Amino acid sequence: MLDAEVAVGGEWAEWYRLTPTQRWSESRKLWQQYLAMGGKLDPEPDTQSPFYFPEASGTVPADGRTSVRSIRRR
Amino acid sequence: MGGQACVLYGAAEFSRDTDFAILADPANLRRLGKALQELRARPIAVPPLDVKYLRKGHAVHFRCQARGCAGLRVDLMARLRGLSGFPILWRRRQIWRLSSSLEVAGLSLPDLVRAKKTQRDKDWPMIRRLVEADYFTYRGKAGAKQIGFWLKEARSPEILIELKREFPAKFAQEAKKRRVLRAVAKKPVQELEKLLRREEDLERTKDRAYWRPLRREMELLRKTKIHSRN
Repeated sequence: MLDAEVAVGGEWAEWYRLTPTQRWSESRKLWQQYLAMGGKLDPEPDTQSPFYFPEASGTVPADGRTSVRSIRRR
Repeated sequence: MGGQACVLYGAAEFSRDTDFAILADPANLRRLGKALQELRARPIAVPPLDVKYLRKGHAVHFRCQARGCAGLRVDLMARLRGLSGFPILWRRRQIWRLSSSLEVAGLSLPDLVRAKKTQRDKDWPMIRRLVEADYFTYRGKAGAKQIGFWLKEARSPEILIELKREFPAKFAQEAKKRRVLRAVAKKPVQELEKLLRREEDLERTKDRAYWRPLRREMELLRKTKIHSRN
């Protein structure tokens, strides 16, 4: 049987093993940390979105980061 | 149906906006309007919140101003490319009870995966993660329907190889419809990755074609809005 740790790496395998409630809780912690660090809710433009229009976007964050991104990569 | 649903299913996104699939009918939009008022949500861009645009497949965007969610973007859609209408999506929904006072409904996993087949780079690794999470959680206890879902949607060569080993009959059946499956155990992993990329490219092309007339309409609405302002 395919070993999840080998196939996707330890960090991802661990994340997959959490229940939805545990993942939600972890995600909330990340949110709290993000907001405590001064992170903004206003997203940066998603230029690949089919309904992207510049006036729909707020100001670009100083860090220049995207609003939605994978926080774990292989 | 966005980043929050992905987190619950096992992928991981840090999303600063919230996407909702909604029923586009006048009574529901009135209820929704009240909820948006509570959030002091203001419409941004085009089109306006109108059954007509939602039913065509447009997304309607808001930005909240209420305390605790100031700046939060809320995106609403009633129709998604390749997905059934809202009543069927609702019937198939997944419900998570996250605490004694919080219950959340999301698209079913197959619907969410389908919805993620867009022209955007960021959605494709997410599909892979969503199916991986489901596979590693439920393999060994899955029924025919779930196995069929993996065979149709898995995007990890290692999982495809194991699926062929574990479910040869079902695999052979699905391979008639999916080219990458026919290459499993015959071609190296790099070749499987290439075929998966081809599937992705095809969907991206379809997504662009789907949005082309909608974008044209949005452009027109935008110009009309600017013109009426001046």
